[in-house]
Amino acid sequence: MSPELIIAIIVTVVGASTPILIAALGELVVERSGVLNLGVEGMMLVGAITAFLVVFLTGNHYLAILLAAAAGVAASMIFGFLTLSLSANQTATGLALTIFGTGLSALAGQGYSARPVTLLGPLFPAELALHPIWRVLFGYSALVYFSFALVFAVWWFLKKSRAGLILRAVGENDLSAHSIGYSVIGVRYAAVAFGGAMAGIAGACFPLLLTPQWAERMTAGRGWIAVALVVFASWRPFRLLAGAYLFGLVMTMELYAKAGGGPLSAIPAELWAAMPYIATVVVLVLISIRRDASNNAPACLGKPFLPSN
Amino acid sequence: MPNRLELTGITKQFPGVLANDGVSFAVKPGEIHALLGENGAGKSTLVKMIYGIMQPDAGEIRWNGQSVTVPNPKAARRLGIGMVFQHFSLFDALTVLENIALGMDAKIPSRALESRIREVMQTYGLLLDPHRTVATLSVGERQRIEIVRALLLDPQLLIMDEPTSVLTPQEVDQLFTVLRKLAAEGCSILYISHKLHEIKALCDTATILRGGKLVDTCDPKQETSRSMAEKMIGTGLRDIVKAEGRTFGPPKLVVNRLRTQKTGHFDVPVDGASFTVRAGEILGIAGVAGNGQNALLDALSGEILGDDREAITIDGLGIGTMNTTERRKRGLCAVPEERNGHAAVGDFSLSDNSVLTARDRLGMVVMGLINSGAAKTYTGKVIADFAVKALGPASTAGSLSGGNLQKYIMGREILQKPSVLVVSQPTWGVDAGAAAAIHQALVDLASAGSAIVVISQDLDELRALSDTLAVINMGRLSQARPVKDFSVEEIGLLMGGVHGATEAA
Amino acid sequence: MQFRLEKRREPSKAMLYATPVVAVLLTMVVGAIIFSLIGFDGIGAVREIFFTPLTNAYKWQDLGVKAAPLIIIGVGLSIAYRANVWNIGAEGQYVMGGLAATWIALLTYGMSGWWILPLMVVAGIAGGALYASIPALLRTRLNVNEILTSLMLTYVSVQLIYYLVRAPWKDPMGMGFPQTRRFSADALLPNIFPGTIVHAGVPIAIVVALVAWFVMSRSVFGYQMKVVGAAPHAARYGGFSENKTIWLALLVSGALAGLAGALEVSGPFQRMVPGFPTNYGFTAIIVAFLGRLNPLGVIFGGIVIAITFVGGEVAQTSIGLSNAATGVFQAMMLFFLLAGDILVRYRIRRVVPQTAEARS
Repeated sequence: MSPELIIAIIVTVVGASTPILIAALGELVVERSGVLNLGVEGMMLVGAITAFLVVFLTGNHYLAILLAAAAGVAASMIFGFLTLSLSANQTATGLALTIFGTGLSALAGQGYSARPVTLLGPLFPAELALHPIWRVLFGYSALVYFSFALVFAVWWFLKKSRAGLILRAVGENDLSAHSIGYSVIGVRYAAVAFGGAMAGIAGACFPLLLTPQWAERMTAGRGWIAVALVVFASWRPFRLLAGAYLFGLVMTMELYAKAGGGPLSAIPAELWAAMPYIATVVVLVLISIRRDASNNAPACLGKPFLPSN
Repeated sequence: MPNRLELTGITKQFPGVLANDGVSFAVKPGEIHALLGENGAGKSTLVKMIYGIMQPDAGEIRWNGQSVTVPNPKAARRLGIGMVFQHFSLFDALTVLENIALGMDAKIPSRALESRIREVMQTYGLLLDPHRTVATLSVGERQRIEIVRALLLDPQLLIMDEPTSVLTPQEVDQLFTVLRKLAAEGCSILYISHKLHEIKALCDTATILRGGKLVDTCDPKQETSRSMAEKMIGTGLRDIVKAEGRTFGPPKLVVNRLRTQKTGHFDVPVDGASFTVRAGEILGIAGVAGNGQNALLDALSGEILGDDREAITIDGLGIGTMNTTERRKRGLCAVPEERNGHAAVGDFSLSDNSVLTARDRLGMVVMGLINSGAAKTYTGKVIADFAVKALGPASTAGSLSGGNLQKYIMGREILQKPSVLVVSQPTWGVDAGAAAAIHQALVDLASAGSAIVVISQDLDELRALSDTLAVINMGRLSQARPVKDFSVEEIGLLMGGVHGATEAA
Repeated sequence: MQFRLEKRREPSKAMLYATPVVAVLLTMVVGAIIFSLIGFDGIGAVREIFFTPLTNAYKWQDLGVKAAPLIIIGVGLSIAYRANVWNIGAEGQYVMGGLAATWIALLTYGMSGWWILPLMVVAGIAGGALYASIPALLRTRLNVNEILTSLMLTYVSVQLIYYLVRAPWKDPMGMGFPQTRRFSADALLPNIFPGTIVHAGVPIAIVVALVAWFVMSRSVFGYQMKVVGAAPHAARYGGFSENKTIWLALLVSGALAGLAGALEVSGPFQRMVPGFPTNYGFTAIIVAFLGRLNPLGVIFGGIVIAITFVGGEVAQTSIGLSNAATGVFQAMMLFFLLAGDILVRYRIRRVVPQTAEARS
């Protein structure tokens, strides 16, 4: 393979991995607080359509990202209200949120499909990315650098900060956290809102970073893959980084298999399209074979908080 | 000097129950004050209001002479009130240091906190490694974290909620030394318990609650255990009626080198338990919580399947590899410790709960279909015979109080006339009247020729109920011997077992 | 004034059955308001989506045809969810059922015989059950979460359709369209009322729901599903294997989804096309919840959701409302239902300010 091709591959992989990484980091924080929000896919779609519409109407990409995050938060608050304030079943509510996000985004995007917008440009001046090697480092948009910063931020928050300690405590043993005097519901609302914001931004990556237009269900199950990745990463941010890039690689494999020629290029396109989903199942199987994986799960994950008084 | 804490007319109403009714008493500085009462007497509700977890509906709390309201635990701690909970508010996956940091309201750099923790541990002889994960600690060590956490705030009042229920007698002695030292330094202690001998040994004053009302405030050293017990329980105590000079039949349940696999991270498996229970005999198994009792019960009931058929035999028949259903058909019934969610399904009606364990022994299933009439009739009989307070067989198990649910569960198993009955914590959290009824039913079942195994942490219960006794520690079971051959000290040493000895060193 | 939630002694049966109805009514009211606020004809939308399918007798046959697969899949899901087994890949099992039936139809192409259609149905059931056995195997052997695996397999199954109809199963006479041949006459599901589109799947759906109701309420099988779902620890104590229950739950729900797939492909579709996955498998999740995970309730839930589907199409042509609005209404119903659930276990009490007088 030529260096140009390798660089092209790296750039594509980074693009494909970024939304999954951002969404999964948000979900990781949510799950560490003891909440399982299966609505990531729905929140991503809400973020995607918001970002698309804002760019389409104003042309301002950063405003689009901001409002996509806000839309993600708004969607996540429906989930938060139902599961935290009304102790509704988290699995069912998460599913409902995904169905809702899918319908809402399709409704809002009605009539906008195939209308082009512009992608978010690179963060650094083009002079820095003239040489292909430099392009690998400096050629990306702000969203990509944001996703890297987010890995460190989430790691630092959980491991080093007092607020992160409280969040982990709430996810480990909500009743104890409550009896010490922490607001379990408050902490979880904050976590769910953060997860919503990240899912919104992850959704914004689709029209701003990948395909500059709106298409119904354009996130194509990436939100679910993000949920699976959190399990794969044993709830640890840096493993999540590795996992997201592994998936980015799998998702873009078709491109370089085609480019590389040989027997791989004979594989039907549908199998390539199915690859990320098959890979998710395989990864989940591998992680469960490694025995201790589930031990790292937050002890209260998915269980409603029901104090006795 | 004003009273450290003074309560006047504290009242708290819950739906359907008046938990506290005009309770008034005072705690002096440096006093160890017992709050004594049966389960459900309102002790926990009262201290939750003092600690700000709940608010009283009426009444006044005075702190060092000033009238105060305590809106939340943080405010309580600011006043100088510390609390050690019965069910520890600890986080298994976090370290000792992180756990303590979570309990601190002010943000203290972790290095400074660590040195303060070491200082407190040194002063009171509460030794612990701050960097260990809580999950790896024994129950006694966990309690030390709670105490250290409370002491770091320099409390003027320390509330201890049933602190000894999970400790060995030796650990209890160590705890008392710490509490006496604290009291000598001027810290008041509110000590909640229903163990009379402990209160006589430790406390200066005792306030006795019954049914939410204050019965008496007295000096426990001037009272006898019996007089305090009568104030606590009300009507005169009923003793268990056991026929004198009973003889036992042939061996019924024989357990031979029973082992279980280690399942979870911190579960204690059964490690080669052997014992024999004869017809008509009640074998008590004592031990501190978390020493393999649950695994033992599950291995006997069949919830944990064994691979050695002869490890468990009933009347000579090996049942070690059978599942719960097959064991029940052969006469072995069991009652696990956890009532709601294990022994019974809270969302199901009592009638449906009867189907859970009695369907095969009592013919409630015909060709894969459930005969709900038979289940209902049987449930009605259980309710009547065991005086279960429930609207009827259609009531959900979750709507019953703990004591009534336990009576139902015990009745459900006992009326199946099992030839072997294994029960864990038969009267845990049950009021005295119901406990006496359950004890009597067990004795009567034994008299009718069944073999019974009672696993309990309540030594008083075991000493009153069992014919023979064995002690479980770290999954190993001591030799079973007639209960009257044991002294309390010996039981205590056996309960402490190996790890008790290392801690004392 | 403040309100407080207070736990009921017994879950309220009345609330249990009232909440789905209230959820539907609230969806109409709130939906009308929200759609008006964002610039649609809100009242018109609700009228067209919820009432026109009922008032227009011509639409009733559409209702039956739409409701049948939803009910069949919803019944299976209601059984699985009762057992706390979260099969959300019914869409994939539906697709595999459809593909298995298609396979038989193509194998027997040009043949005739009464046995062809039953064989397709059996193949569909087996296909759905087999596909559901993958998550079952992974969950029981390796403790892999069935939510994620069943869902991922749905995406895979859709790609499988695309592949099959594009290459090996493509209709040689189809002028390049990616679709299979139209099935032979004996591989088509008969209509039960001549002159309508109501096919045999409609009575089958009702029978499935009735049988499932009887089994779930009277049999040990039903008891097992419910007790494992409500309290797995107690179920083990009562002698029910959790793994066996997971298997049964996934096989039954997969089999029913596969049955629906076979009926759809041999009925309304008459051939396999890329548009075969119509989200019935996902929408049936809402149906199962609206039906309170009770097979009889699922009939109600299936009809309500079918109304919104048919109504959504009406609204599209009559007032130009996007089809996507239907999904929003359906999700809102589920939200309101889940929110209303709390009233089953709790009651709302007005909190009287805390004063000494208020005590008595």
